[in-house]
Amino acid sequence: MLTISGVFAGYGGGDVLQGLDLEVPTGAITCIVGPNGAGKSTVLRVVSGLLKPRLGTIDLDGVRLDQLGCAGVLAKGVAQVPQSQALFPQMTIRENVLLGGYTLRRDKSLLNKRYDHVSELIPIVAERSNDKAGNLSGGQRRMVEIARCLMVDPSVLLLDEPSLGLDPKSLTGVSQLVRDANAAGTTVLLVEQNVRLGLSMATHGVVLEGGRVRLEAPAGELMANPEVAELYLGGHAGESRTARVGGTSLPADAGTGR
Amino acid sequence: MTQLVQALVLGLLIGGVYALMASGLTLIFGVMNIINVAHGALLILVAFITWKIWSLTGVDPILLAVVMTPLMFGFGWLLYKGVLSRISGSSPGMSVLLTFGIAITIEGVLNVTAGNKFRSATPSYFSESYRVLGISLPKAQVYGCLAAVLVLGLLYVVLARTWTGRAIRATAQNSSGAALVGIQASAVAALAFAIGTATTGVGGSILSVLYPFFPASHYDWISRLLGIIVLGGMGSLAGALIGALILGLAETLTATYGSLQWSTLIFYAVILVVLLFRPQGLFGSRLRQDVMA
Repeated sequence: MLTISGVFAGYGGGDVLQGLDLEVPTGAITCIVGPNGAGKSTVLRVVSGLLKPRLGTIDLDGVRLDQLGCAGVLAKGVAQVPQSQALFPQMTIRENVLLGGYTLRRDKSLLNKRYDHVSELIPIVAERSNDKAGNLSGGQRRMVEIARCLMVDPSVLLLDEPSLGLDPKSLTGVSQLVRDANAAGTTVLLVEQNVRLGLSMATHGVVLEGGRVRLEAPAGELMANPEVAELYLGGHAGESRTARVGGTSLPADAGTGR
Repeated sequence: MTQLVQALVLGLLIGGVYALMASGLTLIFGVMNIINVAHGALLILVAFITWKIWSLTGVDPILLAVVMTPLMFGFGWLLYKGVLSRISGSSPGMSVLLTFGIAITIEGVLNVTAGNKFRSATPSYFSESYRVLGISLPKAQVYGCLAAVLVLGLLYVVLARTWTGRAIRATAQNSSGAALVGIQASAVAALAFAIGTATTGVGGSILSVLYPFFPASHYDWISRLLGIIVLGGMGSLAGALIGALILGLAETLTATYGSLQWSTLIFYAVILVVLLFRPQGLFGSRLRQDVMA
C-alpha cells in the first residue's frame, strides 16, 4: 500500500498540494482525475522524488519514501513515466531503454534479461533499437518511456497523462501495456486528463480538487457518479458518447455515408 | 604543392591541440549549461605551473601532463562543489558572470605570483623537426597533438562505453529524465566539471611549450575556444573536434597564402557564414522533437 499523508508541496509559489491524504491499494490501477491545476501531476512528482514535500509523509508498505530523492525512490521499486520529454533525444532507443536499468548496471546478466523481456513486450524497442529517440513520434516515445520504466521491474508504476497527444491506435497500445503490467503484479497510479479513458482503465478512481482528495471510489462507481459525470464527462452519469448517439436514435454508423 | 601539404599538416596538428582544449569546455556546457569562461585561465594556470616545474627541474613539460591532469581533476571537483554548485539551475548567463570572476581571480593571482611576463617552456626538442617526405613536422607540435589525440580518444571511450559516460550524456540531454532513471544529477555534474577541468591539465602543459603566454593570455584563448564550440555546436564533442580542425587549418592556410594577421579573422568569418546557414552550429542537432516542440 502506497500511503500519502498530510502532504503539502509546491514549486515556490504556494502549495499546490494542500494536505493531501491518499491511499493507493497494492495491485490496483488507481486513476487520479481532476481539473487543470488540481495538483494531479504534482502528486506523482512528490511520490517519485522529483519534488520534496514541504510537510507530510509518503510511505510504501511502511518504508518512508519522501526523503529519499529520485534514485532512492526508484531503488524501492517506484518508477515514473512523466508527462512529456522523458527520453534522451540524442541516444538510441536501445541506450534509452538500457539507461532505465541504470540502477542495475552492476548486474549485467539481469540487465540483459530485462532488456530482452522488455523488447519482447514492447516491439518498438526491438524494431527501432538503433534510431535516435528524438526522431520518434509522440506515441512511440510514450511506449519507449514505459519500456524504460519496466527495466527496473517496478512494484509501483506512476504514469502522468499516458493519453496525451496519442492517436487512438497508440492509445490502445499504451493502455494495453498498462493493463499487462498491472496483470503482472505492478501497482499503477496514473493521472489522466481524459477522464473517461482513465477511469475505464482503472479499478480505483480519485477526484482531486485544489490539492486535496474530493472523492474516492471504485472507478466504475465514480464513472456513474452524477457529479463526476456533470463536471468531467460532459454529460449524464453512465452515458458514453456512443450511447448518446444511440439515444438520439441515430444509426450507429451515421456519418459514414452508408 | 609541398607548401599546401605542409600547411594542411600543420593545421591539423594545431587543430588537434585546439580540439583537446575545447573538449572540456563543450563537455561542461553540454552537461550543466555552464559557459566556463575560466577555461582559458585554467589553461594558463596549468601552463605557468608546468613552466615553473620545467624551469626548476627540467622535467619534460608535455610529460608533466601526467601530474597536472589528476591535479586539475581534483581542482575542478573542488571548484564545482565549493563554488559552481551554488548556481546550479540558474541561467547560463549567471555562469558567465561567476566563471569570469574565477578567471579574473586566477589572472590576478598569476600576476602577483608569477609576474606579468611572457613565458614559454623550451625543452631540448623545442626547435627540432621531423622531416617526412619533404614536409617538416615540428617535434613539439607532433608530441602535443599526439597527447591531445590520446586524451580525446580516452574521453570518447569514457563517454560512449561506460555507465559514467552514459550518465553524463543522459544528464546533458535531459536532466529530469536522468533523475527518473536514478542518476544523481549533482554527482554527475561535479564529475563532468572535474573531467572538463582535467583536460586543461593536458591542454595547459602542451600550451606551455607551443605558445608563449602571460597571465592575461587567457582572454585570447577563451575567445578562440568559444569560437570553436559555437562553430561546432555548443555541447557537441564531435563539433568541438571539427571546429578545432577548421580553426587550425584556417590559421595555417591563411598564414601560408595570406598573412599571419588575417588568420584569426578568417576563422571568425567562417563562423559567421556557418551560423547564417546553421544557427545550431555544424554538429548542433535538430531532431524531430525539436521541430515539433
